[in-house]
Amino acid sequence: MDAPTPSAPAPQAAVPAVPASPAPQAYPAQQALPAQQVLPAQQAWGRVRAGRRTADRLLILLCTAATFLGALVLGSILLMLIIEGLRGLSPALFTEVTPGPGSEGGGIANAILGSLVMTLIGIVVATPVGVLAGTYLAEYGRTSGLANLIRFLNDILLSAPSILIGLFVYTLMVRPMGGYSGWAGGVALAIIATPVIVRTTEDMLRLVPGALREAGAALGAPASIVIRQVTWRAAQSGIVTGILLALARIAGETAPLLFTALNNNSWFSPNLMGGVANLPVMIYQFALSPYENWRQLAWAGALLITATILGLSITARFFLRGVKAR
Amino acid sequence: MSATATAAPVVGQSRADESAPVRLAVKDVNFYYGDFRGLKNINLDFRDRQVTALIGPSGCGKSTLLRTFNRIYSLYPEQRADGQILLDGRNILDPAIDLNELRARVGMVFQKPTPFPMSIYDNIAFGIRLYERLPKAELDDRVEEALRKGALWDEVKDKLRQSGMGLSGGQQQRLCIARTVAQRPEVILLDEPTSALDPISTGRIEELIEQLRSEFTIAIVTHNMQQAARISQFTAFMYLGELIEFGPTNRLFMNPAKRQTQDYITGRFG
Repeated sequence: MDAPTPSAPAPQAAVPAVPASPAPQAYPAQQALPAQQVLPAQQAWGRVRAGRRTADRLLILLCTAATFLGALVLGSILLMLIIEGLRGLSPALFTEVTPGPGSEGGGIANAILGSLVMTLIGIVVATPVGVLAGTYLAEYGRTSGLANLIRFLNDILLSAPSILIGLFVYTLMVRPMGGYSGWAGGVALAIIATPVIVRTTEDMLRLVPGALREAGAALGAPASIVIRQVTWRAAQSGIVTGILLALARIAGETAPLLFTALNNNSWFSPNLMGGVANLPVMIYQFALSPYENWRQLAWAGALLITATILGLSITARFFLRGVKAR
Repeated sequence: MSATATAAPVVGQSRADESAPVRLAVKDVNFYYGDFRGLKNINLDFRDRQVTALIGPSGCGKSTLLRTFNRIYSLYPEQRADGQILLDGRNILDPAIDLNELRARVGMVFQKPTPFPMSIYDNIAFGIRLYERLPKAELDDRVEEALRKGALWDEVKDKLRQSGMGLSGGQQQRLCIARTVAQRPEVILLDEPTSALDPISTGRIEELIEQLRSEFTIAIVTHNMQQAARISQFTAFMYLGELIEFGPTNRLFMNPAKRQTQDYITGRFG
């Protein structure tokens, strides 16, 4: 019975108090259980080596520690943002425009409005392009050469440094139009948002079971009707999630706006020409400034953007839960 | 009704009508998945208002054959069929056939219930609206009629506006049958319609098939030989892409002519 394996040290030594080999004889006498159903105690217990248990605990410990470290870093950033941001929060923030150098007080109303307008332009342009392109990839193109090419380019665009997109739009729009504008800013944001929407739309449509498309086709519905009335509807919450995530992504983008919308210390003109104030570039410029009131405004702006993105992410998550429920 | 049979096949409550006119005639049909030949020279007649069951082990081609009757396979470019399938004398494999019209005449219900993500009412109305523009009251009547024929009306009449996805599996499958019936097809194809359902739901679907037979020609693929025996008037046994034997259900089960058929129905393989 004493197996010469080196694998069972301490625990095994503790167990033999229970009689191992006499057991098969004792049980038949009592007629309790058939002999072959009773395993010798030494085989049933103590087979997990101590080393394996240690390795298991070590891994759990490492994972927990890493989680705490990550949470600590992110948490302290967030905490500092909240403390500093709340200090800068005031009604004037939402009513007054950004102050000039050396002047007191001021708000960021023009930057908030500028950001809203350009983000809106971005998402309004990106949504139809992204959803339709994603639909092409998932429903029509599938594995065709063109679809694979588009998918590849889209992935590149998805991870392209956003400053490149800013420069691209600078050459495309700012120079020909003779100046910075909110339109150029909106287009730059649209270019950032589009690949995100393309990707999520395609992924979400691919999750729709093929049987649903077959069922639509089997009723005699052409592909266009099946897509519009069945597959889009089935993937609806996933697609909306993608749009919200794209919105969250562009709400905080700075680099593409630096070369396109720049910034401004006054209300922008209704035709969106000239520099248009916006939160990210405002934060970038004000945070680096020597003026105390500017830095306060930068903190407040940062808190505002973060809160907005948090809100968008929570909403997106809420929509995504609808997808998983199916 | 007949759903409780469990042991030996209980054969044919209603006898095969061998004089019924042929509704769907399959002539020398071959089917290809890319280079793989999934069906080999199939010849088979489906008679009017009879239930014809296609049985055979997995991969024998029974679903493939069913999927040629409404050309649903043409969604996949690498799949093709040749030969002739005559629906009331017209070859539906002819490229000139309008697929949407064909599919209105030949309806199909799938293995897993496929309710659309819309209300129960809209699920039924979806198929009707594709072909007809009806005033509201008339559409309501059509929806009710279809749900009654699908044996679902009593269970859903008070919640027509609720999502079809909220129904139980068996109800969803009856919804899909009702949706197919709503288009007033001539032929209904059922591709293992009960294999994802519990025995009680299966029983209800089988009763429903028995009722639908008075109006429609039905082709059903099934894994379950007892089911074939219970609900069909004709049975075709397929193996490795070939039609091995075809005949009235009770003759095929009681007195199979081929050795392979006998081996399969007695459970020796499959």
